Amino acid sequence: MIFSWQLLIMLILSGLFFTWFLFKPVKSGLSHNESNIAINKQRKEELELDINQGLIDDDQFQVAESEIVNTLANELRNNNKDNIEIKPINWSIAIFLCLSALSIALYSQLSPKFLPGSQVLSEPMTMDESIEKLQSFLDENPDDFQALKMMGLAQIGIGNAEESIKAFERAYIINAEDIDLLLQYASAIAATQEGQFDGKARVLIDQAFKLDPQSVQVLYFSGIVAAHEGNLKVAIELWEKALYLMPVDHPDRNIIKEALDTVLNLQVK
Amino acid sequence: MLIEVGHFALVLALVISLVLVVVPSLGLYQNKESLAQLAKPLVWAQGFWIAVAFFVLMTAFLTNDFSVKNVAENSNTQLPVLYKASAVWGSHEGSLLLWLFVLSIWTVAVSIFSKRIPSDLINQTLIVLGSLSFGFLLLLLFTSNPFERLLIPPIEGRELNPLLQDFGLAVHPPMLYIGYVGLAVPFAFVLSALIRGQLDSTWIRWTRPWTLVSWSFLTIGITLGSWWAYYELGWGGWWFWDPVENASFMPWLVATALIHSLSVSEKRGAFKQWTVLLAIGGFSLSLLGTFLVRSGVLTSVHAFATDPTRGLFILIFLLIVIGGSLVLYTWRSSLLQQSNPFSLLSRETGLLINNILLVTAMLSVLLGTLYPLILDSLDLGKISVGAPYFNAVFVPIMIPGVLALAVFPYVRWKKDSSSRVLNLLKFEWISVVLLTLLSWIFITRNIFVIIALALFIWVVIHVMVLLLKRLKAKSKVTMSFLGMVVAHLGIAVFVLGATVTTQLGIEKDIKMNLGETQTIAGYDFVFNGVSPHSKDNYSGFIGDISVFKNDRKVTQLRPEKRLYQTGMPMTEASIDPSITRDLYVALGESLEGDAWSVRIYYKPLVRWIWLGGLMIAFGALLAAIDRRYLVRFRS
Repeated sequence: MIFSWQLLIMLILSGLFFTWFLFKPVKSGLSHNESNIAINKQRKEELELDINQGLIDDDQFQVAESEIVNTLANELRNNNKDNIEIKPINWSIAIFLCLSALSIALYSQLSPKFLPGSQVLSEPMTMDESIEKLQSFLDENPDDFQALKMMGLAQIGIGNAEESIKAFERAYIINAEDIDLLLQYASAIAATQEGQFDGKARVLIDQAFKLDPQSVQVLYFSGIVAAHEGNLKVAIELWEKALYLMPVDHPDRNIIKEALDTVLNLQVK
Repeated sequence: MLIEVGHFALVLALVISLVLVVVPSLGLYQNKESLAQLAKPLVWAQGFWIAVAFFVLMTAFLTNDFSVKNVAENSNTQLPVLYKASAVWGSHEGSLLLWLFVLSIWTVAVSIFSKRIPSDLINQTLIVLGSLSFGFLLLLLFTSNPFERLLIPPIEGRELNPLLQDFGLAVHPPMLYIGYVGLAVPFAFVLSALIRGQLDSTWIRWTRPWTLVSWSFLTIGITLGSWWAYYELGWGGWWFWDPVENASFMPWLVATALIHSLSVSEKRGAFKQWTVLLAIGGFSLSLLGTFLVRSGVLTSVHAFATDPTRGLFILIFLLIVIGGSLVLYTWRSSLLQQSNPFSLLSRETGLLINNILLVTAMLSVLLGTLYPLILDSLDLGKISVGAPYFNAVFVPIMIPGVLALAVFPYVRWKKDSSSRVLNLLKFEWISVVLLTLLSWIFITRNIFVIIALALFIWVVIHVMVLLLKRLKAKSKVTMSFLGMVVAHLGIAVFVLGATVTTQLGIEKDIKMNLGETQTIAGYDFVFNGVSPHSKDNYSGFIGDISVFKNDRKVTQLRPEKRLYQTGMPMTEASIDPSITRDLYVALGESLEGDAWSVRIYYKPLVRWIWLGGLMIAFGALLAAIDRRYLVRFRS
C-alpha cells in the first residue's frame, strides 16, 4: 500500500473538522410544530388572497379554511423530549478512530501496490534487485496480475525467457483478456522459438486481435505473424492501418515504417 | 502522488458517508442533538473530498497523465483542452464520478439552503442522501475505480469517441445529471418523512422547490441533448426515441407529474399518497436509467460500460432502493391523511388527469424501452422498437394533456360550475376558431399543423387572459403563477415547433456536381466543391455551398467530413439557423468525378423545439423562487 504524509494530513483534517463541530454544533432550526403552524398560516393567507381575487367563493373558503385548521390539528405533536448532552471528546476520538481505521483498511485493499515510475524517485535499482523485490512481493501476493506481468517483462529483460514465460502464464490464468500481456507473452514464447510466432505465440496474437483489432500494437504483431507466414499483402494492410491510426509523432512509428519498407522491398524483388 | 490523493479522497468520502448514516441517526433517535446536528458538517466534508477526487481526475486528463488507465483510454495529447476536460465524463468511471459529484453538490445545497426547514427533517434527509452516496461510492471504488493505475504507462493515450468531441456533449451530460440526480432530493425528503412518520405539511412544502429546480435542469439537459443530436449526428433529427434518451425522458415525465401533484398536496392537502409514490418513482426511474446506461445492456453511444459486475451491482442497489422505499411506504401509508374531497369539475380533477396521462405516457415509453431487452434476455429473438411505436402511442396520450393545460388553470380549486368555465372559455374559443380559420386560408392546409397551431393560439390567448385577469383584479402576480404561465407557453411553443418541423420540413439526399444548383423551399443551394482540411486530431474534407434566395446571397455553408485518428468517420453538418427556419447541409460520400452526395434539409421552426424546452425550464426556476419558499419563519 502507498500511504504518504498527504493522506495522513487528509485524515487529520477530516478528524479536526468533525471535532470542531462536535464541540460547537451547528445551531438547530425550527421544530416541526413551528414549521407546520407557519406553513398552514401561510396557506390560510393564500386562501384569503384567492377569495379576494374571486378565485373561490365564500362557501369554498369556509370549507377550505376548516380543512386547514383540521390538517394543522392533526399535524401538531407533543415533541417535548429532553435533549441528551454528549461528551464531545469521546465522540471526537471515536469518530477519528473509526475514520482512520476504516479508511486505511479500505485503502490498503484498493490502492495500487506500485506507483508507476516510483523507482525513479529513489536510487535506481539494478534489474536483479528489481526481480528480487518483485519476487518477494509475489511471495506475499502470488495472484497479483500486474506484478506477475512485470516479472515476465523483467525476466525477458535479462534474457531469461523460460522464467518470463512462467510468470506470463500465471498472469494469463488470472486475466486472459489483457492485450499487453497477450503480446508480451507471445513475444517471450517467440524468443524461445528463434523469433518465430508459431504455435501458442500465434494463438495469443490472434486472441489479442479478436479483442482489439484497432490496437496499433496488435496490428503490428499481427503483421509480423502474417509476414512470417508469407502473407505479405495482409502484413502490408495491417501495418498501413497501424500507421494510419498512429499519431504522427508516435515513437513506434519508425519501427512499423521500417517493417513495412522491408516487406514492400521484398515484394518488389 | 496526486492520483493517490484523489483515490484516497474517495475512500475518505465513503467512510464519511458511513459515519453520516450512523452517527446523526443515533443522534436523532436518542435525542442527542449534537450528534444529529453533525449531519451537515459530515455532508460538507463528504462533498469536499468528492470534489477533490473529481478535480484530481480532471487534472490528470488536462496534464496527460497516462499512468491513469482512465486517462490513457479516453484522452491523448492531441485532444483540445475543452474535450480533455469533458473526457472526464466521456468514460464510464468518470461519468459515475460526475454522478456522485453532482449528488454531493445537491446534498451540500440542501444542507445550506435549509434554514427554513425543521432540523430533524433536514438531518434525516441528509442521512438518506448520504446513504445514496454510500451506495454509489461503493460502486465506484469496487467496480469502476477512475484512478486505476497502469503499471507501464503508454506514451500516448487513445482517442476519445469523436461523437463526444463536441461542445454540446461537453455541457449536456452535466446538465442532465444535475436534473437526473436532483430527483434524489424529493426522494430523500419523502423517505425522511416516511422514516420519521411525519407526513405533514412541512415535507410537501419543502419537496416542491427542490423538485422544480431538478426538473428544470433535467429539462435543460434533455433540450441540450436534443440540440446536440440535431447538429452532430448529421441527419437533422431532434429526437430518436433511443433507449438512452428514453432513460432520461421517463424520470422527466414522472417528475412533471410530481410537481403538479405536489401543488395539489401543498395547496389542498390532497393526493398525498400519490405524491409519495411519484417521488419514489421519479428517482427509481433515474436509477433504472443509470442501470440501463451503465450496465451495458443497451448498445448506444452512451452505453460504454460492458462489465456485468457493474450492472449487477447497480441492479442490486436499484432493488434495495425501490424495494426498501415501497416497504417503507406500505408500513407508513396509514399515517397519510385521507385526501380532502373535491368535485368532478375542479382544478384537482385537471391535475389528476394530467398525472394519469403523464404516468401512462411514461409507462408506454418504459414498455417500448424494456420490451426488446426482456425478449432478448429470454432468448425470444431480437426486436427493435422505434419511432413508429412511440409516435403512435405517446403522441395520442399527450394531446389531451395539452388541451387540459388550456382549460384547467381557469377552473377553481375544490368545486366549480361548468357554466362559469364555459362562459370564460367562450371568448377564447371564438378567437381560436377565427385565427385557426385564417391560418387555414393563408398559411397551411396541413391538418396536423392546423391542430398544433390551434393549440398554440389557445394557450397563448389563455395565458394572456389569465395575466389580464390578475392585473385587472390588481392582485399580485406571484413567481409561482408566472412560472406556470411561462412553462405552459413553453409547451405550446414546443408543440408548434415539433409539429411544423416534422410536417413541413423538407429533406433531400442528392448527388451534386461541381457548380450544380438545387432549389429547396425557395432557396437555391449552389455546390462550389470540396477541399481537403485538417485540424488537431482529425483530417478530412470541407464542402462549400452558397445559398441564395431571390438571387440574393443568404449564407455560405461549409459542411465537413472528418476522419479521426481512430479511423472513425464523422459528419459535421453546417447550419444556417434562424428563429423561423434552419438551412441544414451535411456532406455524404465522394462520388465519381467532382460529385458528392449531399443532404439538404429545410427545417421550419425547428429552433422553437429548444426554445420551448428552455421556456419550460425557466418557468420551473421562476416557480422555485416563489416568495413562500423564501420567507423565513420565525421560531
